[in-house]
Amino acid sequence: MTDQVSVQETDAGQQVEQPSAQGNIVEVRDLHTYFYTDLGVARALNGVTYNIPREKVLGIVGESGCGKSVTALSIMNLVQPPGKIVSGEVVLHRVGAKGANTEVVLTDLGRHSTQMRRIRGNEIAMIFQEPMTSLNPVYTIGDQISEAFILHQGVNKDEARRRSILILDRVGMPYADTVVDQYPHQLSGGMRQRAMIALGLSCAPSLLIADEPTTALDVTTEAQILDVMRGLQSDIGMSIMFITHDLGVIAQMADEVVVMYLGRVAEQAPVDSIFYDPLHPYTRALLRSIPHVGEGTKERLKPIRGVVPNPYSNISGCPFHPRCDEFMPDVCDVNVPGITMTEDGRAVRCFLYSDRVEKNG
Amino acid sequence: MASYIVRRLGYMLITLVFVTVVGFFIIELPPGSYLEFHIQSLRQQGGDVTPDQIAALERRYGLGDPVHVRFYKWISGFPRGDFGQSFQHQRPVGELIWSRLGYTLLISVLTLIISWGIAIVVGVYSATHRYTIPDYLITVLQFIGLAIPNFLLALVMMIVLQQTFGMRVGVLYSREFRDAPFSIAKLLDLASNLWVPIVILGVAGTAWTSRVMRANLLDVLNMQYVQTARAKGVYEPKVIWKHAVRNALHPLVMTLGLALPGIISGEVIVSTVLNLPTSGPLFFQALIQQDMYLAGTFLVFFAVALLIGNLLADIMLAWLDPRITYR
Repeated sequence: MTDQVSVQETDAGQQVEQPSAQGNIVEVRDLHTYFYTDLGVARALNGVTYNIPREKVLGIVGESGCGKSVTALSIMNLVQPPGKIVSGEVVLHRVGAKGANTEVVLTDLGRHSTQMRRIRGNEIAMIFQEPMTSLNPVYTIGDQISEAFILHQGVNKDEARRRSILILDRVGMPYADTVVDQYPHQLSGGMRQRAMIALGLSCAPSLLIADEPTTALDVTTEAQILDVMRGLQSDIGMSIMFITHDLGVIAQMADEVVVMYLGRVAEQAPVDSIFYDPLHPYTRALLRSIPHVGEGTKERLKPIRGVVPNPYSNISGCPFHPRCDEFMPDVCDVNVPGITMTEDGRAVRCFLYSDRVEKNG
Repeated sequence: MASYIVRRLGYMLITLVFVTVVGFFIIELPPGSYLEFHIQSLRQQGGDVTPDQIAALERRYGLGDPVHVRFYKWISGFPRGDFGQSFQHQRPVGELIWSRLGYTLLISVLTLIISWGIAIVVGVYSATHRYTIPDYLITVLQFIGLAIPNFLLALVMMIVLQQTFGMRVGVLYSREFRDAPFSIAKLLDLASNLWVPIVILGVAGTAWTSRVMRANLLDVLNMQYVQTARAKGVYEPKVIWKHAVRNALHPLVMTLGLALPGIISGEVIVSTVLNLPTSGPLFFQALIQQDMYLAGTFLVFFAVALLIGNLLADIMLAWLDPRITYR
């Protein structure tokens, strides 16, 4: 009953009018998250719109500083000052009994509110990039996983410990009943990331946000961790939002892909379309810049020219136009392209596909 | 852990032997001895001192012996609880120092506990409310607290309390309780007097510790595991106190061993200014008058307190942070 303010019951009739609500667990709509620093305002997210499909893996790719991690924190409502969600909304769709769909606007909930805390770790969980630093060094693995069980499932300490061992076992942690009493510094990087995944999955969330979970690991460990995540995703039937800058990992993990550039979504499409028929010039440039097996060793990689502009700058028009190969003078540098939906349901922001202009660009 | 503590106790004993040797010789270093001080004061009173009398005095105090013999005589009494004679007071050192050492220790430990308690809360508050007006106010107070030397603060408080509030400063007990047997009323009376030296002694330490706490906590709050705790849905105050503060305390506890000597030497100064019946004034007098066994014994007991404080700090650190193991 605590969600009264922001929950709207939608009946079956309305669901037909909003078909997207049915298939998505989270919708991010025109999200702006700014950081107010001494150097000025960093527009980390500048009108981000995308959907996380239910029970699928959504990959989010982009260069460093494009806003991948900030989107994740914005969904969790965990953006810390001086950062702030300025406008836009994040909507969580819950499927209740009898298929009744309720929606919660997460951005309307307070950062420290009880409702938000009940969602965090319970309905939406998050695992972070650095397994070395994302576990508290002064508490045992068991204590840290138990905390989530005690918090969200109201069980006592012994039961929480028992469940912690089970979940550790499930993510393939060797000697789970020993590890449960060990401290993070006693584990290897791969084991710590398994422990983090166990922590994330402890309350069987409907969405797991993984922020570069394998970046700090070696390739063998990375493959094992990805295996575990993929396996549990289909077992539990949850959605995963997988943030990475590694296109290889995306190809392996994702069902659908969001390509981000400088605080905006360039393109959202199914994974095959992204790799075989990319629409946005930025996506194409990204794909050209990765090496391919079978190419001559003498051939040079084609990097994207220039660098990501700093987030304090205010670029007129499409943020990618200074680096774009298909730059159209007097078009791309004047207006910000709006979102174009293609016939097969892909979303792209580029004037090559329509002249839709973003309203308040 | 147990074997570590036993070994540490062994090292402490060795350290203590060195402390007594060094302490004894430092006290010996200034030219002259208590005897010269004594002869001078006898002459000032108009009496004449003959060489015979001097020789008799020298024999009486054993001052004619070479240094190492005197040192041995002094140190060999320790296991029996005999710390030598005070020249000035004509009484065994042991009788003189116990109650005074007790009050010094009481004031020092209370100061440490109270100042840490306040400093941690203040540090956490200003770290979690960084760059707000209360944080700026706290910062100003911290710098004032750090900048005032404690003897000056003692003088100022003495004047203010005496003239404005008519309080008797410089006593531990009111007159009616001074010789009364122990009771709750006596304890309350002690508390009503004891807060003055504790406040004077604690101000600088509290300011410093809360400053360190603020900086440490700001570092820890940026750590990923704090965000992990929030992402788990943990209540924000619990995120701060359970997940962040415990990690931020670590550098503070490491300085605990260093904080104690500062407080004890501060106590000597403050008690001398306030003329409290603690170690301070007696120790100071003993040093001036070269009452060497008294001064030396004080030094040894201060050293013991420091060694124990350091051991406690190390044990606390191991309890606080599982990554620390002592072998």
